[in-house]
Amino acid sequence: MDTLAALGHGFLVALTPYNLLWSAIGVTVGTAVGVLPGIGPALTVALLLPVTYHLEPTSAFIMFAGIYYGAMYGGSTTSILLNAPGESGSIVTAIDGHAMARQGRGAQALATAAIGSFIAGTIATAALTFVAPLMVKMALLFGPAEYFALMVLALTTVTAVLGDSLARGLGSLFLGLALGLVGIDMQTGQARLAFGVPELLDGIDTVVVAVGLFAVGETLYVASRFRFEREEVYALKGSKWMSREDWSRSWKPWLRGTLLGFPIGALPAGGSEIPTFLSYLVEKRLAKKPEEFGHGAIEAVAGPEAANNASAAGVLAPLLSLGLPTSATAAIMLAAFQQYGLQPGPTLFDSTPELVWGMIASLYVGNVLLLLLNLPLVGMWVKLLVIPRPWLYAGILVFSTLGAYTLNNNVIDLVILWVIGLVGFGMRVLNVPVAPCVVGLILGPLAEQQFRRALAISQGDATVFITHPISAALLAVAVLLVVGPLVMRRRNRAAASDPAGKTSTV
Amino acid sequence: MTTGRSLRIGEALLGGGLFALGALIAVETMLTPSAGRGVVGPALFPYLISAGLMLVALSLLREAFAGHIAHDGGLELDLRAVMLVAAGLVAQFLLIEYLGWIPAAALLFVAVARAFGNRRFFVNAAFGLVLSGATFVVFNYGLDLNLPIGTVGEWFLPAE
Repeated sequence: MDTLAALGHGFLVALTPYNLLWSAIGVTVGTAVGVLPGIGPALTVALLLPVTYHLEPTSAFIMFAGIYYGAMYGGSTTSILLNAPGESGSIVTAIDGHAMARQGRGAQALATAAIGSFIAGTIATAALTFVAPLMVKMALLFGPAEYFALMVLALTTVTAVLGDSLARGLGSLFLGLALGLVGIDMQTGQARLAFGVPELLDGIDTVVVAVGLFAVGETLYVASRFRFEREEVYALKGSKWMSREDWSRSWKPWLRGTLLGFPIGALPAGGSEIPTFLSYLVEKRLAKKPEEFGHGAIEAVAGPEAANNASAAGVLAPLLSLGLPTSATAAIMLAAFQQYGLQPGPTLFDSTPELVWGMIASLYVGNVLLLLLNLPLVGMWVKLLVIPRPWLYAGILVFSTLGAYTLNNNVIDLVILWVIGLVGFGMRVLNVPVAPCVVGLILGPLAEQQFRRALAISQGDATVFITHPISAALLAVAVLLVVGPLVMRRRNRAAASDPAGKTSTV
Repeated sequence: MTTGRSLRIGEALLGGGLFALGALIAVETMLTPSAGRGVVGPALFPYLISAGLMLVALSLLREAFAGHIAHDGGLELDLRAVMLVAAGLVAQFLLIEYLGWIPAAALLFVAVARAFGNRRFFVNAAFGLVLSGATFVVFNYGLDLNLPIGTVGEWFLPAE
């Protein structure tokens, strides 16, 4: 009942006209920026950070929450009409959603995505409301050793589940960890890897790295491919409403997607890739006409989109209660918290209840606003897709540099942005995932802090990590996640090269 | 035009770059006089990360020469466009403090638009100026953030 009282208080905060305004601005801007191709929620939050510098933290986070949810909604529009998923969670939506758009059923695809997102978002937010306090209770049992193990698990899972090459994922992760070393060591005050540049003593900003990798790197990549790829926007035509059949084929996938999305999003494995792929597979298995999958099955849009939005709420549970980001977007939200001098974790619920609960309540509000904003106005959002690409990307870069410069008002950040952008371009060309880099940058220093704290408490006895059962279990899972795929691949390869054995595709 | 072979070179460069980064971290950490030799000093994590970087780099190098790489058939890349965008960014960070935000950002806008194949310089310049001017007004006056007016700009606005 405590939770309900706290949530009620949160609604009082979120429903003040002032905060309602910021929520509305957040969802509108989030949707608009999310609709633009190539910009996912992580980048949207990073680009819009400077806008919130002078807001009260509570209003700022209510706006971030709106941006986050809004960008998830907007991302489906790009996937469906342009076949250009802005983030990994929308990849699955693009398959059948774009096929529907080509058949002139784009409006129905957008509708099932929007309604499914609303239902999933609302159920998952309710789950977040009750799960987050439980996670806080669990978090209070955690010591530094457990936190360190948990962070190691989060780092390895974010790396291992993305992309098809473990080496590339780990390369990205270690690059992020290396960037995280730059600056003053939190425990001893010693400068590390600053090379005498005073601006580097504060460390490299997560936001600069995220904008560099996602916006500058992506723009460079799109520029390099622009001459060779023609994109086509599929206009909305025909009836805008979902037929009775569409509804009956959609509602179960919505619910199943929610069930998959929230818990997986909340796990340290995190992210939205796994639940969306799982939802696609589940729907295909259960569908009456599985042969339609890949050619415009509405279930293949309804389920994954619901899973995508439910996982967004799921990701917020460990972020708020443990301070543990499990996706790139969450990592940037954590950076945003740190900019306000706030550290998410169990104490956040006690020290700033109006912020936490106001933000959670604003998620319910934002979901309603988004449904109102998306169903009738989808035609307006679609117009954003016809912005000429030269102007769109020019504008994206102007805003990226604006965000990077205004962080600390210095040119060094622009130079770092440029370097990271070039690295991001190289990573994009070589198919190296960028999310592990961002998560490594933000989690690396936190993990180091917990590691050293744990060793200080145990007086240098390194066995604390394996003698504490929770810590040992978490580390074991992390090792399995790295070693497991390696063993499987080796076995596959052995089977493939063995002429007597069955041939297997890699 | 980039072939599978040059992508392999790219992958090798990535591995080599990460290896060099790992070595740099190790050397720099060794050269830094360590403050306070506690149980775990500020040097342990840099060493761990540098070791990790080098191991991953070796594995990437192996993949580059023997394994399966992305886009096996090659990938076409318009490197002139990339250089143009990159040059626009360089121009911006070199000029922003002298010329101020508005011209520097407008210049970046024109460079990127050109990289994407739009040759209407004057239209783009006008549009870029409108955008950078609008952001300047919104961020400086509306949101109280400081975008540079530039040393040149200050000559024109002595009494602000």
